[in-house]
Amino acid sequence: MSYELRPHTADVAVAATGADLGETFAAVADGLAAATCDDVPATGERFSVTVDAEGLEALLFDYLDRLIYERDVRGVLPVANEASVHEADGEWVVEASARGVPFADVTARDVKAVTYSEMRVEETDEGWKAYVVLDV
Amino acid sequence: MTTREFDGIRLERVREFVWELPREGDMRVPARVLASEALLDEIGEDKTLQQLRNATHLPGITGHALCMPDGHQGYGFPVGGVGATDVETGCISPGSVGYDINCGVRMMKTNLTYADVQGHEEELVNALFANVPSGLGGGGVVEGDMDTVEAVLSRGVDWALEEGWAVEDDLTHCEDGGRRPDADPSAVSRKAKDRGKNQLGSLGSGNHFLEVQRVTEVYRDDVADAYGLQPDQVVVLIHCGSRGLGHQTCTDYLRKIEKRHGDLLADLPDKELAAAPAGSELAEQYYGAMCACINFAWVNRQLIMHRVRQVFERVFDRSWESMDMHLLYDVAHNIAKKETHTVEGEERELYVHRKGATRAFPAGHPEVPPAYRDVGQPIIIPGSMGAGSYVLRGGEASMDLTFGSTAHGAGRLMSRTQAKQEFWGETVRDELREQNAVYVKAQSGATVAEEAPGVYKDVDEVVRVSDALGIGDKVARTYPVCNIKG
Repeated sequence: MSYELRPHTADVAVAATGADLGETFAAVADGLAAATCDDVPATGERFSVTVDAEGLEALLFDYLDRLIYERDVRGVLPVANEASVHEADGEWVVEASARGVPFADVTARDVKAVTYSEMRVEETDEGWKAYVVLDV
Repeated sequence: MTTREFDGIRLERVREFVWELPREGDMRVPARVLASEALLDEIGEDKTLQQLRNATHLPGITGHALCMPDGHQGYGFPVGGVGATDVETGCISPGSVGYDINCGVRMMKTNLTYADVQGHEEELVNALFANVPSGLGGGGVVEGDMDTVEAVLSRGVDWALEEGWAVEDDLTHCEDGGRRPDADPSAVSRKAKDRGKNQLGSLGSGNHFLEVQRVTEVYRDDVADAYGLQPDQVVVLIHCGSRGLGHQTCTDYLRKIEKRHGDLLADLPDKELAAAPAGSELAEQYYGAMCACINFAWVNRQLIMHRVRQVFERVFDRSWESMDMHLLYDVAHNIAKKETHTVEGEERELYVHRKGATRAFPAGHPEVPPAYRDVGQPIIIPGSMGAGSYVLRGGEASMDLTFGSTAHGAGRLMSRTQAKQEFWGETVRDELREQNAVYVKAQSGATVAEEAPGVYKDVDEVVRVSDALGIGDKVARTYPVCNIKG
């Protein structure tokens, strides 16, 4: 799995790929961390989140929004993300975890929110790809 | 007829500085860009025009979808965008307000001159940086609990006055007296309130900043007198918004609208324009929540201003009252407010969405505070760290041309990624100090690079267009002395 930060006039975009949806979602989440902070130390405890939504794009939106929420209320930067995605009874579910680096250990800036603008989640011959614009 | 074309979008020149994208296809109204040729060239470089055309699809949009001279690509609705929709038959669009509800700027005056501050810049910038919370996880001036957040959402700057963080004069010089009557704290989620309680009185990061400035020029003596501005005077500019609480509120309502009004959303060209039909339960709830977030942002800026007064007291060893540190005005950049406008001779109540745009009401308008009603509402246009900022006043033509609006800043020209490739933060900081006598302190060098003067448009050109069109008239110019960033 991998991600790239892409230029955007006002904001920051993340383009990510993975062998499956879980890897791709985790790569976008790592991109969110990279948009927040250049250097990530190896500190912090892992925590888990489970998020469900009515569709794949909505799931990616809600998953990233949840990480931003956890960041603000726990006071940690979620890094080294892991995720798996499945569909159950018409709902999409992501079960994920992240290592929460305490704010005191990093120099980070605020990514305000995830946006739907230009969002793509698509399957290709090489696996899954996602593109998300973040409001910074 | 002069026309310009960018990526298949053709604009016709209506008159100097006014470019129209005629109605075609599913557009409900035409769109207009207010720009000089030079600014239009920059606006045409990214997806601003496409996003402006998308905005014309909003239900009930009236007149024109507008792009101010500092417009640039955002998400969904362009930054620098103004769109007015009918409050009965249209919609209200959280995506067209933006995540940072009531992101805005306030200017505080002092009776200090530049000479009083010279020699103290280093001490001042360090003291401000140490005392005004900024960056991620920097905490707030007030460590609030849920009751505090509720009170702030409901009562705005009235709460700050009751708690000793404001004086009466701050309220009379703020839009709406610092309190939105339509605020509904119960429409703001617990999730949003959780995020807000640790951030009450904090700058945040990105393009948000606090700047000590000096007045370098006055263009209209009578208005400058009414605003209490004169050459060489030191002023303080505070730029931030409603922090995580506002961001979460926008996010919550985008998702609620998607779930409940998916049919409306399916007809919009960009999901980020998500809009609730006027009169629907969600439209009412969002309006109440947004007004509560407006209150939160005003209190946020008020608390920072209060802290700045305390810092000045320590650095200059005088009371803030003796330095006449009074609020000039506070303007919102991301907002949708119910306002009455005359459209084709008929008075209509509209939700005026301003995303990265400033309200610019002219002299005589009843919503301009009494202190400024004879001269027009103050407008504060921040420039970059290396360029001047401007104080304008609402222009006579703003009600006819822009639903009482003008630009909100210099407008970005370059992505943050590109900025970091072209600029090195420490170099930018050192050059600003040595060549421009501007003292900058930030959480990181990357932030300084991303906000380097070169990443912004020419603020002089933005203000020239605003002044020439009569939507916001030049009153005074300021230049940075100290700047802190998150």
